[in-house]
Amino acid sequence: MKAHERIAATVSLQCPDRVPLAPLLDHWAAPYAGITNAVLMNDSEQRFNAVLKTAQDFRWDMTFLADTANVTLLKAGVPARIKLPGIDLPENSTHQFDEIGAMKDEDFDILEKDGILGLGTVLIPRIYPEMNIEQTLMDVDQAGRQITDQAIKLRAKGIEPAVGFVIPGPSFEYFCFARSVNKALLDIRKHPAKMKSAGKRFCEDILGLAILTSSQNAIQRVFIGLSRSSPVFLTSKHFEEFILPELDFLVNGLIDADITPVFHCDTNWTKFLHYFKRFPKARCILELDSFTDIFKAKEVLGDHMAIMGDVPSTLLAEGSKGEVLDYCKRLIETIGKGGGFILSSGCSIPLNAKVDNVMAMTEATEKWGWY
Amino acid sequence: MQLQLSRAFSALEEEQVYQIIDEHLAISGDPLLIVNELSTGMEKVGQLFKDDEYALGELIYSGEIFKGAMEKVKPFLKEGDDKPLGKVIMGTVEGDIHDLGKNIVITLLECSGFQVIDLGVDVPASKFVDAVRETGADLVGMSLLLTTAMDSLRQAVKSLNDAGLRSRVKIMIGGAPTSERLKEDVGADFYGRDAVEALAIAKRFFNQ
Repeated sequence: MKAHERIAATVSLQCPDRVPLAPLLDHWAAPYAGITNAVLMNDSEQRFNAVLKTAQDFRWDMTFLADTANVTLLKAGVPARIKLPGIDLPENSTHQFDEIGAMKDEDFDILEKDGILGLGTVLIPRIYPEMNIEQTLMDVDQAGRQITDQAIKLRAKGIEPAVGFVIPGPSFEYFCFARSVNKALLDIRKHPAKMKSAGKRFCEDILGLAILTSSQNAIQRVFIGLSRSSPVFLTSKHFEEFILPELDFLVNGLIDADITPVFHCDTNWTKFLHYFKRFPKARCILELDSFTDIFKAKEVLGDHMAIMGDVPSTLLAEGSKGEVLDYCKRLIETIGKGGGFILSSGCSIPLNAKVDNVMAMTEATEKWGWY
Repeated sequence: MQLQLSRAFSALEEEQVYQIIDEHLAISGDPLLIVNELSTGMEKVGQLFKDDEYALGELIYSGEIFKGAMEKVKPFLKEGDDKPLGKVIMGTVEGDIHDLGKNIVITLLECSGFQVIDLGVDVPASKFVDAVRETGADLVGMSLLLTTAMDSLRQAVKSLNDAGLRSRVKIMIGGAPTSERLKEDVGADFYGRDAVEALAIAKRFFNQ
């Protein structure tokens, strides 16, 4: 099977010829390719070359285009102040976000009335005084064209690009960056109606953008960030009231457009796994970062959606090659049983992952992953 | 007042909490009774979190209510009434600016009567050493989210060892990449899986 066929078979819960391999790649491409992280984040061509080299050397079926290390997209899409390697941090650090709470109480009304673009017009200069919305849109447009070209080049090498668009998540996830986590959690109690009405507009706009962008770059998978809406942060009551209606809207809208939602689940989602059964069967990917019990996920959702994960970042950074091999073998034999499994890292490969450990994922897939 | 206040607090009924406190203070009631009831309520919140009925959102909200309540009570407290149960230094290690987990631990510690010296984020190893020397704190909490910050954690623990301070100070660690194994590996004393466990560690350590 070709890589894209292998992925498609896995998502549709048919048995591919072997378990696909698709670790999450962003910053780690820099040290592996011998460039600084500052270069990786700012130079589109060098970023793509580093991604391509990594994906080819490790014989991956699918790779992220290091979208989460793309300064243009991060500045435009995440309403918090980014601290960058080479500027605010040592040049080989991972970027980090300073949640400065740029979005004020009254900005909920702007979002509801004028949409994401209207809110961005207000927030971007607050977060980055040197930037404006016009330039930001032009930069994003250019980044979008680069991604379209890169997807074509990647596919020409037999590697599937992972996602065509990144939705930060239901609006609550966006508000956690824009307002700060603490404020967004308090908003649930203090401004519930505003959150819901502004959130509805957010979802309408972001869904439209996701469908448009994916049609342009022809990558029919879209990332949905799920981190702060997890049971670590929210009770079932609040999840059902604030998150699920928006997730329903986003997921069904994407699937109607023939796009596969990729749920990027950070932190521990074990308690909420049953909620994912509501989404259409064999149309989604549940991607776990090692804090959710992936074996429980197989039990609850194994016959419903593909599961992707979850070699822990600490194991990749600090474990031995033997430990990584053992863990991958266990994943392949249990989560991969009968298909529906993509072997991946738990969240992004950390900057300090050992090359041997990343290669162990490949060796495990090629040794034990065949059906 | 007693049961009413702790119940209202643990149910996160913010307005009711403030109303009960206002009424109690208006009749010259004992302010320490309020503080005790708030602490009881906070313990119940912690238990509900452990029982999985509350999430971090509820912990954070309880901290807000506690702060609002203490603002009302503080003017009525006498000197010595709010003597801390112990002194704890908290910080996110160098190379990591994530503060959510650290701040929740701080809120719980403060709400439970501990004095916290917050060193902030991206804290170099030498700053932990200086803070222990300057404040005489007995417990240091080190937080991290990034896997790449594990070396900073090692360095911070090592610096306290090298400075000869480990006989008088204990170290607890917490955050996404931390574990019992990492605790052993870096030579820390305690590992807290979440904020409520961190509070329990502090309480045990200070015999509270």
